[in-house]
Amino acid sequence: MDNLIIAAASRVSEADLPMARLGKRFGRLDLASQLVLLAVEMLGIDFDTQRRDRVGICLAARAGSLATDLEFWRGRDAVGGPSPTLFAYTLPSMAIGEIAIRHRLTGPNLCVVGSDVVLAGAVDWLRRGEAEACVCVACEVVTPALAGLIGVPPVATAAAVYVQRGGVGLRVWEENDRDIASLCAVLCGHNGRN
Amino acid sequence: MREPDPTSRPSVAVVGCGAWTAVGPGVSALWSAVRAHASGLCPDRRFDSPRFQSAIVGAALQDDTGSDDPAFLLATEALGEARAQAGDLLASLPAARIGLVLSTTKANVTALERLAEGRPCSDPARRHIQGDLLAADLARVHAVQGPVQCVSVACISGLVAIVQGVRMIQGGAADAVCVVGVDVLSAFVVAGFTALKAIDPEGCRPFDRDRRGLSPGEAGAAVVLVRADRAPRPAIVIRGWGGSNDANHVTGPSRDGSGLAQAIRCALETARLRPDEIDHVHAHGTGTPYNDAMEALALRTVFGEAGLSVNGSKGMLGHTLGAAGVVETIVCLRAMEEGWLPGTPGLVTPAEGAPSGLVREPRPATLNHVLKLNTGFGGANGALILGHG
Repeated sequence: MDNLIIAAASRVSEADLPMARLGKRFGRLDLASQLVLLAVEMLGIDFDTQRRDRVGICLAARAGSLATDLEFWRGRDAVGGPSPTLFAYTLPSMAIGEIAIRHRLTGPNLCVVGSDVVLAGAVDWLRRGEAEACVCVACEVVTPALAGLIGVPPVATAAAVYVQRGGVGLRVWEENDRDIASLCAVLCGHNGRN
Repeated sequence: MREPDPTSRPSVAVVGCGAWTAVGPGVSALWSAVRAHASGLCPDRRFDSPRFQSAIVGAALQDDTGSDDPAFLLATEALGEARAQAGDLLASLPAARIGLVLSTTKANVTALERLAEGRPCSDPARRHIQGDLLAADLARVHAVQGPVQCVSVACISGLVAIVQGVRMIQGGAADAVCVVGVDVLSAFVVAGFTALKAIDPEGCRPFDRDRRGLSPGEAGAAVVLVRADRAPRPAIVIRGWGGSNDANHVTGPSRDGSGLAQAIRCALETARLRPDEIDHVHAHGTGTPYNDAMEALALRTVFGEAGLSVNGSKGMLGHTLGAAGVVETIVCLRAMEEGWLPGTPGLVTPAEGAPSGLVREPRPATLNHVLKLNTGFGGANGALILGHG
């Protein structure tokens, strides 16, 4: 079987969002989806060269969608009722849909809340032949409003890797490559991309 | 491109089931309702307000329980029933070789509402607004010490969680996996679907000509998975699965059904089955105009016009979100074991273009392979195929 290759890696934080040029819809997305889309964009993958039905998407939503949940529920008494747009983003996996739409990726999806175990999921897809490549993203959004409720400090970051069967890239995937954020911290330069 | 011998992986069987749904606690209550073609949908005073599109919901718990942690209650009761059914088999395994996968979209959203409104909330309930902590506490209470995950892929979460459980066993990380699905009724969720105008004021009517939307529901459901060669008696096995994304719209399904058709074809491929070997499809069947139409189109694309039997359970249970895939899989399992096709509560007059083999009322049938479908926001599609071990 081909080696599994980490073809690209990136990481972004909320401070990077002003530089994003990702179209009109971007500003209407929740913070998690914005971070995830920017991290995927910074991978620099040319999806036109990929079979889009053979590219999977894995997301580790470290804090689920709690920040958006809180924002949605605090707007429940707004004139006209709570926002239907925001309600859609109260699902932890919604950023997967945004990646899929932007890059027209129709392969399988996995979203795990809490611990980041999605690299193992992606590797399983590739080994079984259920996908030929996978966009793997870890995202953590804890807004100041949420931080007080769950007792953790505020954070807004995302890290992404692109894993594929064979080809060239940053390096071969290794058995102890389990956490996307840690992997990206090793692989990414100061500009957040490699 | 696949590994040389995928058939060398062990089959995975279901040896225990548990459920608490709108038709009562226990799988026996669920199956009795299926056989009786009964519905658990009814008006609930919590949602009898202009803020909500309808008061008709599928409530598992009484509206006066006052619990701030209903997600844990439903999940632990369902898991307890499933574990009891698995019996000595689980007891014979080291706790470190038993895993748990939780499927949920909103975990204990009841506590989130309370906290956001400045109302009191117990510490456990507060923890359980985080799905991973809910999963960890379920594992602790049920003496599960193997790998624990919380899966959340919109309304296909339940099917994805079952597949993750299969992967844990086939990958050697666990000898048995408890898959638990749970989501609870809440003002949060009902207000959200109201904002989307996605609720049928008269109750969910899957594939019906006059359908107008879903009915919110709640449930806890659980299955225990083990290697089929460890099962004490012949059991239903997970034969195949497939997933895909429409890449089309965040809340609307694709109009051509191509994404769901892709997921079904992947499931057939992993199961090594032809379309004509599927005896029955348990549809997602939300009762929303576009989703049911898309699902019918996808089925026609893969199976043609052959009149394959199709049913949906959301007119009985409501849409239980993260629990839906697990509880509806339990309906499929019982249908295969009992040789009985479930009907489609809420369906009166099939819509133009609806599957021609829609099962309105339950009836006897021999079922060798059943296909379970779910689709969700964000374009996610999931397909699972069950067979006899």
